[in-house]
Amino acid sequence: MFYIYLGILAIVLALTVWELFDTKKLSMQITAAMVIMPLLLRLLMIK
Amino acid sequence: MQKHTITAIICLAGAIVASAIAGSSFLAMRKPDKIVRGPGVTEIKMLSEWFPDLKGSPGDTEVYIMEGADNGVSMLVLGGTHPNEPASHLAAILLIENFLPRTGTLYVIPRANASGFTANDPQEGAPQHFTIETPNGLRVFSYGSRATNPIHQWPDPNIYIHASSGQTLSGSETRNLNRGYPGRADGTLTEKVCYGIVQLIKEQKVTITVDLHEASPEYPVINAIVAHPKAMQLASDTVLGLEMQDIKISLEPSPVNLRGLTHRELGDFTDTLPLLMETANASQGRLRGRTDEALVLTGKDKWYVRAAKLGRLYVPYDENGHPIEERVGRHVTAIAEIINSWNWEHPETPLEFDNIPSYEDLLSKGLGEYLLPVQ
Repeated sequence: MFYIYLGILAIVLALTVWELFDTKKLSMQITAAMVIMPLLLRLLMIK
Repeated sequence: MQKHTITAIICLAGAIVASAIAGSSFLAMRKPDKIVRGPGVTEIKMLSEWFPDLKGSPGDTEVYIMEGADNGVSMLVLGGTHPNEPASHLAAILLIENFLPRTGTLYVIPRANASGFTANDPQEGAPQHFTIETPNGLRVFSYGSRATNPIHQWPDPNIYIHASSGQTLSGSETRNLNRGYPGRADGTLTEKVCYGIVQLIKEQKVTITVDLHEASPEYPVINAIVAHPKAMQLASDTVLGLEMQDIKISLEPSPVNLRGLTHRELGDFTDTLPLLMETANASQGRLRGRTDEALVLTGKDKWYVRAAKLGRLYVPYDENGHPIEERVGRHVTAIAEIINSWNWEHPETPLEFDNIPSYEDLLSKGLGEYLLPVQ
């Protein structure tokens, strides 16, 4: 179960980074950057 | 390069830098607090000595042993079952750094849920550490999470089913050490820690087990001792002894249908006499205002004063708050009174210890006076 959740997390993180580069709206890019932080910290098993 | 690509790179770089800063702060919590080996400590073991599966895991934790003349009687004190209840952790450390055993053995686990000390509860705004002044400088202690760090046990189930009773609770309770007893050898990390503690109690034939806690001022079980039916006589004598010292404390029977807690399961599954004690901690309450080190140490909170005036609390609350000295003093004095009560009932097999700071001394001199210098 742990690795399945980690896999889901990695996919969501990748999609968020993709959205960050795809969108042309600055507000969406800032939002994506904020979403990336907790996802990254959990993927690295820091928080 | 297009303009939106440049802003995306800047945003991503910002996110990585912010994550690195936050991450280093979170990682710093994994360094355990320094506890000084007091003159009464005869041995320090790890819980994994009683349950080897814990070895090398974030659930493994120190067991301080203070051994006097062996008469077959012993006491186990659990501090840090909930690492966001600092008086529990500090009272255990105070015992380790001060108690001198004469007869019987004292086991102290200051970080019962060691994993819980490596993180804060999300969305609580709690400090990561708090500092206590001592004559030899500052001592820093962790303010952790109520539960096992989700990094060490994740994901939570939607519903937590207590293994031995089938009781159902919210999924996050699966990481609550005081809902996992008697534990399982093949369970979650939290259940394994519970199992390790139960193994220690069984193998060492621990006579009395005291689990130290704190509670929100609006929680009904506060400034109280909760006792398993077989420990009720000991608890009653203790309450009488504390009342004679003008320390108000109530006695609650362990509910039969609330499972997984020390005061229920340790009594049902082992021969120990289990007691659980609660003091008043505003920093974990729902009605609190600003949550910082000052609140942890002083318990002063204007919203709790207001709630007390409205009759919403189960403990007296005024502008003086409930300082950490008072809360630790209640725990340590109650432990001394449990020992007195045991000795009163069992003069042929006493537990005898020296150098227990008194409630009055803790209030007048402060907690720092009784903490040893870190080398």
